[in-house]
Amino acid sequence: MTRYLIPDACIRDIGEYEKTGGYQGLEKALSMEPGQVVEEVKKSGLRGRGGAGFPTGMKWMFAAGDPKFPKYIVCNADEGEPGTFKDKALLKNNPHILIEGMAIAAHALKAETGYVYLRAEYPKEKEILEAALAQAHEKGFLGENIMGSGARLDIQVHRGAGAYICGEETALIDSLEGKRGQPRLKPPFPVNAGLWGKPTVVNNVETFANLPFIMRAGAQEYMKIGAPDCPGNKLFSVSGHVEKPGVYELPMGITLKDIIYDHAGGIKNGKALKAVIPGGVSAPVLPPDKIDCPMDFVSVQKWGSMLGSGGVIVFDEDTCMVQVAHRALQFFEHESCGKCTPCREGTGWLRAILERLETRQGREGDIRLLEDVSRNIAGNTFCPLGDGAAMVVLGFLKHFKEEFSEHIENGCPYGRTGKRPDRPAPVQ
Amino acid sequence: MKSEKSQREKTFSPGALTRLEEIKKKYPDKRAALMPALYIAQDEFGWLRPEALKAVAQYLELPEMTVRSTATFYSIYKHEQAGRNMVRLCTNVSCMVLGASTLKGTLKTLYGLAPGGTSPDGRFQLEIGECIGACDRGPAMLVNDDLHTELDTKKLIQVLESYK
Amino acid sequence: MINISINGKKIGLEGPATVLEAARRHGIDIPTLCNHPALELWGGCRMCVVEIEKMPRLQTSCTVMAADGMTVYTETPRVVAARKSVLEFLLINHPLQCPTCDKAGVCKLQDLTVKYGAVAGRFEEGKRTFPESVDDPLIVRNMERCIMCTRCVRMCDNVQGAFAIGVVNKGTRSHVEPFSGGRYNCEYCGNCLNVCPVGAIMSRLHRYTYRPWQMDKTVKTICSFCGVGCTQLLEVRSGAIQKVSPVFGEGVNKGLLCGRGIFGYGYVGSPERLKTPLIRKNGVLEPAEWDEALALAERKMLEIKNLHGGRAIAGVAGGRCTNEENYVFQKLLRAGFGSNNIDSVARLGLMHAQNLLEDIFGQGAAANLISGIPRSDAVITVACDPTQTNPVMGLQVRAAARAGKKVLTVGHAHGLRRHRTHSLPAHIGTEGMALAGLLSELLKIKKLPGENPEFEAAIKNFELPRLEEVETYTGVSAAMLSGAASALKDVSSSSIIAGRELAAHRDARRNLMLLAAIGYILNSRFFLISEHPNEQGLIDMGCAPDTLPGARPIALQTFRERYEEAWGVKLDPEPGLSLMEMFEQAGDTVRAMYIMGENPAFNLPGRKMVKSALGKLDFLVVQDIFMSETAAMADVVFPSLAWSEKEGTYTNLEKRIQKLEKAIEKNPEKKVFLMEDWQILMEIGKRAGLNMPYTASSDIIDELARLSPLHAGLGYGDLAETGMMWPYKGKPLRMGGRIPALPVSRAEAPSKEQALAPVLVLDKPLFHSGTLSRHAGPLLDIMAEAEAKLSPETGSVLEVTDGAMISISTAEGEMALKVKFEKGLPVGAIFAGNNFGEAGALGLFGYELEPESKTPILRFANLEIKLETGKL
Ligand SMILES: Cc1cc2nc3c(=O)[nH]c(=O)nc-3n(C[C@H](O)[C@H](O)[C@H](O)COP(=O)(O)O)c2cc1C
Ligand code: SF4
Ligand code: FES
Repeated sequence: MTRYLIPDACIRDIGEYEKTGGYQGLEKALSMEPGQVVEEVKKSGLRGRGGAGFPTGMKWMFAAGDPKFPKYIVCNADEGEPGTFKDKALLKNNPHILIEGMAIAAHALKAETGYVYLRAEYPKEKEILEAALAQAHEKGFLGENIMGSGARLDIQVHRGAGAYICGEETALIDSLEGKRGQPRLKPPFPVNAGLWGKPTVVNNVETFANLPFIMRAGAQEYMKIGAPDCPGNKLFSVSGHVEKPGVYELPMGITLKDIIYDHAGGIKNGKALKAVIPGGVSAPVLPPDKIDCPMDFVSVQKWGSMLGSGGVIVFDEDTCMVQVAHRALQFFEHESCGKCTPCREGTGWLRAILERLETRQGREGDIRLLEDVSRNIAGNTFCPLGDGAAMVVLGFLKHFKEEFSEHIENGCPYGRTGKRPDRPAPVQ
Repeated sequence: MKSEKSQREKTFSPGALTRLEEIKKKYPDKRAALMPALYIAQDEFGWLRPEALKAVAQYLELPEMTVRSTATFYSIYKHEQAGRNMVRLCTNVSCMVLGASTLKGTLKTLYGLAPGGTSPDGRFQLEIGECIGACDRGPAMLVNDDLHTELDTKKLIQVLESYK
Repeated sequence: MINISINGKKIGLEGPATVLEAARRHGIDIPTLCNHPALELWGGCRMCVVEIEKMPRLQTSCTVMAADGMTVYTETPRVVAARKSVLEFLLINHPLQCPTCDKAGVCKLQDLTVKYGAVAGRFEEGKRTFPESVDDPLIVRNMERCIMCTRCVRMCDNVQGAFAIGVVNKGTRSHVEPFSGGRYNCEYCGNCLNVCPVGAIMSRLHRYTYRPWQMDKTVKTICSFCGVGCTQLLEVRSGAIQKVSPVFGEGVNKGLLCGRGIFGYGYVGSPERLKTPLIRKNGVLEPAEWDEALALAERKMLEIKNLHGGRAIAGVAGGRCTNEENYVFQKLLRAGFGSNNIDSVARLGLMHAQNLLEDIFGQGAAANLISGIPRSDAVITVACDPTQTNPVMGLQVRAAARAGKKVLTVGHAHGLRRHRTHSLPAHIGTEGMALAGLLSELLKIKKLPGENPEFEAAIKNFELPRLEEVETYTGVSAAMLSGAASALKDVSSSSIIAGRELAAHRDARRNLMLLAAIGYILNSRFFLISEHPNEQGLIDMGCAPDTLPGARPIALQTFRERYEEAWGVKLDPEPGLSLMEMFEQAGDTVRAMYIMGENPAFNLPGRKMVKSALGKLDFLVVQDIFMSETAAMADVVFPSLAWSEKEGTYTNLEKRIQKLEKAIEKNPEKKVFLMEDWQILMEIGKRAGLNMPYTASSDIIDELARLSPLHAGLGYGDLAETGMMWPYKGKPLRMGGRIPALPVSRAEAPSKEQALAPVLVLDKPLFHSGTLSRHAGPLLDIMAEAEAKLSPETGSVLEVTDGAMISISTAEGEMALKVKFEKGLPVGAIFAGNNFGEAGALGLFGYELEPESKTPILRFANLEIKLETGKL
């Protein structure tokens, strides 16, 4: 199996990076017409790694086809999805691969400015990335006349300030423009009217990181890796009750079971698996009988959840599902941007009901109410955040309803205290 | 200790102004420099007190309300007088199942730190953070810009004691 | 043509529209909360959802554009369920205070809850709480009731352009606040509370005083504050105005108002209103019977006429009085007293500017639609800040900016500082010179259009200054001039808004000719600032020494004869005295004066002279609603009625004639007997033997329509709801062609001391208009005292600090004012308004007459500024 995203040893020095074939993908791209690069990426079947799995080549095609200039490329490094830390690993261990990927994209789109929207909680990675950018400038992979091709590109790092919704691409754009990061109305889509109304491509860190390999090896080779509809390697962030948590670069379509047992060393302390969230906290939970699910965008959906960011969170037999659901909803309430009614009001309500269950104040009808409120949110929010919150609750209820009833009738079966937790949200 | 009055009239230091000038160059529109400018203002003024917001507004020629409205959307900024060291303990799902809740208790009993509060000695401010991207080595926390992972009660105390 | 089907109904659409707009246009209502036609699309509340075939999710009809072939259903069970759930969500944090909330009865949330059925309280945790904020004197905020539709904020930012309120925090904790939390620091346009669908932002003026359904009546009328002529709705109960609001989509203002319009109505109900006629007896004004006062006025005026001739009598007409009243006024003076000495505040600049533009471009050159401003490619403001003097017109300039049009401000225009794209910040009073610079740059890059060869020949002959000269004189650099010119290079239509100071200037002719030339090159529509609600009407009604109603010269025999015949008297063919001349000659050739609804003793420069002039008169009659400084000097005072108490018409700055509706019946039980101004004049006229057979104000319009060619055929019946631009129907009459010569006047560069010396500027604060606003409590709450506004830089030059008391003295007078720092004001300039009795800044100004038009030009000499000791 080839790994091309994260090397065994961390590479921050540009010389080291070049030794392993770094910036050859860019060289190749620069030797092609921008349109050809777009075509090649389309052919590769690369899907965005930010969560939605949208075909990258298509996105580029739309932006390239828009007559407006300048165009912008934006790297979404907001990585706010709880249970996800793969973009951070990339930034820390292989920063140049992002720069090279962005440079390839810039060439394809004839963009001369790129921004990396980096989450506030990654200050060290900001330093690493900025050092790498400086090196790339010095070596002529950025700046004026890149590698003698006449192309130019500047990349700026923009630090977020702690708002999960800014990972949503239109909210990210507003945030970059210095506004409250609330999702924008679509259409127009960013590919036509993004940053400052100009065509803008937003891609995830990992998406950009796939490009050097695609350019170097060619779309044909790339498609040989991974699942048929979702080629390439994927970074999985594995956390929770496993022996060896961490980031794993594995081909798309590998089963959840293989990730947990073969790579992450199985459940911690020899305990049994109780549940797993396959794609970050916004993805519905799966019970142990679903761990044969192949991990790619298409399959996970079929199996009742979503691949999302690939943040695999594993829970052992001693984990209380109500506690997890409650904490997840605290997150959604805190992170709801407040623009649309169902999400703003509904996430807090769900959290409040779950809090009742957590504090032994649950009562009959609460489960119906949870389902009802979730259904009233789902499908009627402005952006997917609110939908996600509702799907998460419905997911827990689908697979662990008895545990919720148990909380109402007899309290937490894990004997956690019934004390009202001092809750973090809302922070401000 | 500066008097209230001199605080009120405080504007950006020359060093900060240089940084601001640099930042403005990164964007075709000055409003985009707002978020970075707020970080600088927070360094300069201690926290985003009204005077800090006003100074940013004046520098970027933006309405004061626009600056405040934008700033308060983001939870990383210091919107209140804060303790000297900002502790962001992650209690999100991955860290929670690995024991972050216990640590919260420890902070309360040993340091008098409640979520959103400041320790009586002004040394620490505690924010219960959302995921900080260190789930593989949870429970984790950020103290100012430093990441500390695989915390247990003992390590927590050890770490905090290194901040004055 | 876009064809869609809504609830089975086939609908054809001409242009792009949202599903919501399409439905509403065809009588299908879809409930909304966050949507508002004046605001940009939002899509947050989710109330307006509908089902659209082939789209799996429900769609927000307010944001989805109708597309050909769409099939839409607006009230399916799924839709209704979704709306119910939205209401349930909104109510979980909404306090159930309807019984005490002022909004009850006109609350959208309440209406919808009634329509879709109240949702049982399934939410049992504590509601979010925010303390009610009554820190502001006029606006109360109750954020518990807020449903986060953000209409107020979008209104404030995008339409009003004030950026005074905003959403703070995120998610459930979000709420709307002004910057400092409590009191507003804003333009008090009140538009935020007009768009709030619930009771979250409301006016304090009528708090807890009534419920909406208890109103006696609501009356649609025209605002009495400035020349924009906004349509407003007065809600009346127990003979008093309870509330003023705009009407969305209607009038010149299309649902917007300014602070004066919405909060300034209080003067009408002031206890200080005059209630009976007064006659001076033994030096003291004492209440008198109407008969006695009317007879006295008539007798004294005729006595003076018989003794000294008609020319010994002079009259000042009123810019807040109706067309009808002003018509009768000039008729009484001309036909009754034999005097052409009639003038008004239109003399302060508007008349001169208008005359010159009309000479070149034809009558009605400045009769243009305010709503057209944002549609032109560029807007240029010269020597004015429309956001202060004509605020709702100012909003159209801001709208132009928002629509991406070029906005160039020439001279100081503080209210447009965030909206202009270019500026020529000429020193105050030198705006005309900046125009010269702009013209010479424009001529370099733009071809003359070739429509008016005569004017083009004149333009080519202009002797324009060199750019260096312009720079030394105005402070505007050559780069700024060429930048502005090149920005205007490709515009194909533009709007020019000019202030009266351009005409009240030593170089008025030059300034106006340059303005005309630039306007000609840029295919401009002209808008002239008009500070009084019927300033234009004064001109049109012949309240000028040289023109008769219809604004035709009295010197013209054919024209004069029409009126002589109708009025049955011979008229003096010689033009009379202009405004300032009347006072200058008082006690000499002028022996008596009749002043209607004006306060010259306060509102004119040269206050000392004016006051002493009034004192020298043999006889002075004043009609007013308050005991003004002028009324206090009169021999006879007649109390009159205020704008909301009478009928009649105002002509706004677009030349739109609009009808006032009577909201308050002033004499219900004849306890106080008051008359409209025209009735008082008629009573005197009749006593003097004039034919004044009016039973209603419409009779006066009928007479006008018979006599004035400009108003031929006009009648109240023609005045549609929002009035009309008679007879322009939206187009200026292009029939000018008398091109005046441009005087060659090359400015001398000021000396260094002159350039640096502080200047005193007459400020026109948004919240005040002078005499009236002094009696409008809420406006006083916003701005309680006279202030001297200056920039912090000026402050440090003068060594004064914010809040200090300073005394300003000039050759004319001295007054104490509190310093208020305002960033961005021109360095060296001290702005003081003429709004407060003791500290009316006009008391510091002398004047000089512009020789051609007799427009008074403000002057001050020996300016000294001292810190008032002990008052820091
Ligand atoms: C609530 C929400 C949060 C998101 N957070 C992230 C994120 O942190 N990082 C990311 O790359 N994409 C995130 N996305 C997805 C982005 O909207 C967008 O699809 C992505 O950046 C596109 O890049 P890709 O095509 O390379 O995946 C989020 C989406 C939503 C709705
Ligand atoms: S679902 Fe609505 S409130 Fe929630 S984050 Fe998206 S837009 Fe904001
Ligand atoms: S009216 Fe359409 S979402 Fe609010």
